[in-house]
Amino acid sequence: MTFATSHFGTITVDAGAVIEFPEGLPGFEDRRRFLPLNHPGGTGLIFLQSLELPELCFLAVPVQALRPEYRVAMSAEDLELLGLAEDRPPELSAEINALAILSLVEGEPPTANLRSPVVIRIATRRAVQAIRPDDRYGLREPLLAEDAEAVCL
Amino acid sequence: MLVIRRHPGQSLRIGEEIEIEVIESGPNRVKLGIRAPKSIPVVRSEVRLTRAENLAAARSLDAVRPEELAAVLGASRP
Repeated sequence: MTFATSHFGTITVDAGAVIEFPEGLPGFEDRRRFLPLNHPGGTGLIFLQSLELPELCFLAVPVQALRPEYRVAMSAEDLELLGLAEDRPPELSAEINALAILSLVEGEPPTANLRSPVVIRIATRRAVQAIRPDDRYGLREPLLAEDAEAVCL
Repeated sequence: MLVIRRHPGQSLRIGEEIEIEVIESGPNRVKLGIRAPKSIPVVRSEVRLTRAENLAAARSLDAVRPEELAAVLGASRP
């Protein structure tokens, strides 16, 4: 299967690599199917390309790449959507990935949404944008942790 | 802000068409039932913020072309 995208031209879609958001993402509730594409530069960046809207492509990065100590916190509803046990948050692993969506605005430093990461259950290829019930992380976090910056100074 | 105390099972109305009922109250959260016309969207506040952020983030690749990303992000990545 192929899909014509706005940013990457026509791409080949491996059906097994597609991830499905049963409820879409806030603002894009009707967009359910996305294909993660690795940025070819070895930067660890991931493009989340919609397979329904050619121009819709998020830029994301695994949360651990930004905050090595990051732990997922999810609501019972979101855990249920992924078919996970509701009594404890999942550990990040080969089975559970969490991606922070990046926001780039010209002339401003890039930010990462660590408040509502995209949590993917690899075995089922299901995903949800899980808004943390706590406020440990914000929607527009600098890519480099503040304490890390302090060390550099 | 108007503050109203309610017990589980009690409700309140906003205007003629919106009713909010306290269904259950626990130590650190409450379960609310909301009855409102379809024309009035009801969303949790944090969903609204995430929605706005997603709409902004979806324009990232218009701001920076994919082939320029490494350079743009390289400066601010750990």
